Amino acid sequence: MDFKKALKDFWYGKPHGERRLGDNYLPKTGLYKHREWRGVKDTFYYFNKIWLYNYIHMVMDVMKYGGLINFAKGVWRYRWVGQTYLPVLHWFDRGMEGMRGPAMKASAWHYRAMVNATIYQFMTMFNADTKLHGGKKNDDWYHTMAHKETVWGGIFYPWSDKFKNVSLEMIPYFVTCHVNSHTVHNYIDAVQSIGLPGDPCPMCQAESGLYVLDDIPDYSPFMITCNEACDGSVSTAVLQDWFNDKPLYALAMPMQFDDPLVKKYCKRDIEECWKFIEEQTGVPFNWDVMVERLESQNELQKFEWEKWEVAAKTNSYPVNGVAQALYRIYQSQFGDLPIWHFVDSKVRPIMERCVREKTNTFPNTRHRVIAWSCAPLYYSNWCTWAYNCWGLNVIINMDSLMFDMTIRTDNYENMLEDVAQYHMWAPMRRMAVGGMHHIFELWEYMERFNCDMVAMYDQLQCKGMQGVHGLFEDEFRDRNVPAFWIPHALPDSRTVSRAEIRRLISDYMTTVMHEEPLDPSLLELDDDMTW
Amino acid sequence: MKKFLVKALALGGVAYAALFAVFFFDLDGKLLFNVVEPFLKNHYDNMERKDMLTMPYDMDKFPKYEYEV
Repeated sequence: MDFKKALKDFWYGKPHGERRLGDNYLPKTGLYKHREWRGVKDTFYYFNKIWLYNYIHMVMDVMKYGGLINFAKGVWRYRWVGQTYLPVLHWFDRGMEGMRGPAMKASAWHYRAMVNATIYQFMTMFNADTKLHGGKKNDDWYHTMAHKETVWGGIFYPWSDKFKNVSLEMIPYFVTCHVNSHTVHNYIDAVQSIGLPGDPCPMCQAESGLYVLDDIPDYSPFMITCNEACDGSVSTAVLQDWFNDKPLYALAMPMQFDDPLVKKYCKRDIEECWKFIEEQTGVPFNWDVMVERLESQNELQKFEWEKWEVAAKTNSYPVNGVAQALYRIYQSQFGDLPIWHFVDSKVRPIMERCVREKTNTFPNTRHRVIAWSCAPLYYSNWCTWAYNCWGLNVIINMDSLMFDMTIRTDNYENMLEDVAQYHMWAPMRRMAVGGMHHIFELWEYMERFNCDMVAMYDQLQCKGMQGVHGLFEDEFRDRNVPAFWIPHALPDSRTVSRAEIRRLISDYMTTVMHEEPLDPSLLELDDDMTW
Repeated sequence: MKKFLVKALALGGVAYAALFAVFFFDLDGKLLFNVVEPFLKNHYDNMERKDMLTMPYDMDKFPKYEYEV
């Protein structure tokens, strides 16, 4: 045995090619025989500042936002919280595997923000929920607004000094799929059990299934729905209208949004929605609060632009592909929250130091990858695996880039113009089913972020995106762009397994790119039962 | 006082070491995967749930909410 080498590995951690991360899993479960030894400094950073810190802050967040009793009642009543959110630290592990130094630190901060925002939302639901309070409509119930997850939180800013807004599905559906992919199967199966065929968008199926199983809190006197991403969401809203049985405003989102006349209609619809909220709450639109919150959100966007600059022009960007994607879509869709600012203030010095010292944060990068279209929610950490196994570094992704704007606050007209634009540039709309011009913005962003490869998501049950599959194939060939496809069924891990996704990427890397894996132990894994 | 401090430090040290063992050997993950999740799943699977399909769909219960803006 080489003691000098063993001591060096103990102190600094093994070099990338020698780690054999795949050997560390228990078969099928995705659990670890032991968590990764990253060297003394990084292991203890992970233990103290990520694992312990987050467990402690999860408890503190629950106490701060409503207390342990409300939380315990919620866990006992709702599958999506009990089954999903308890193993949240394993979600960190999957996203942060193999990361070291600033990449591990900055990425983990992004996860911390999402955990806080998630607890804030489900505790807000539980505090107001009549199902947890013996059918009583308490003060919180009267001061919480419910909306579909595809309605941007900024729509509710004018009332945010007196009311909270929580989306109906972001926490019971969207975030669950990332943390524990098993939970959502119950909801998909539930809606199919009442006669829905299996081929519509599984997002809409799962959202509807929550209602079929009576697994959604009753926390608001009214709700705002939306047709985004497509007519599948309209169908979900019909079921929500039926099962919620509350006053409902259907906020329209245009499919083709570059037309000024469409924008005029959209602005009018947003104003009608605001009138509806005024009528339901009895509280008028507050311009000052709107401006304050929008300017706060603009600060987040400005930092995001700084991050993009670093990601595009240097090798010193300390945020990995999954942290970038999830944090950004969560933050930009939910809207302003104190935790985003706090986390940005933690990430800024890490990033600035990396730039100043020209740290290569992902030193084993072989390809700079841009990920396009909608990602598999049950395997959002595929890019962590792809970096560890193949050196594929996902620099940026489509979901991060959708809301590429700040919102003017100098007068009402400009504000409304920009709010409408933001509303129309929604997830799965601007660059997915929002028209040819926007979906092919891929080429501009690929150049801007200095990427040499595309990871193209292929949501098998999205009829809109299936319609452009062939066009992308042609473009990739014409432009001579290396690209691999990742087929998936958004939340449903049973259609295309994680192992199948890995096999497809590995096949591409060996047969087309003629490359050897950096860590061969990651080629074949049986993690079928993992969260 | 000194004795108390030494005891507190020793206890803190043991607790820290125990927590590190839980962390390093993924004991939290193993407990959640093998015990907590199956227990909760069993609970959720056997919960009595309201049959939502028996609810009438009152489409005309609320107004159309159209406004002059």
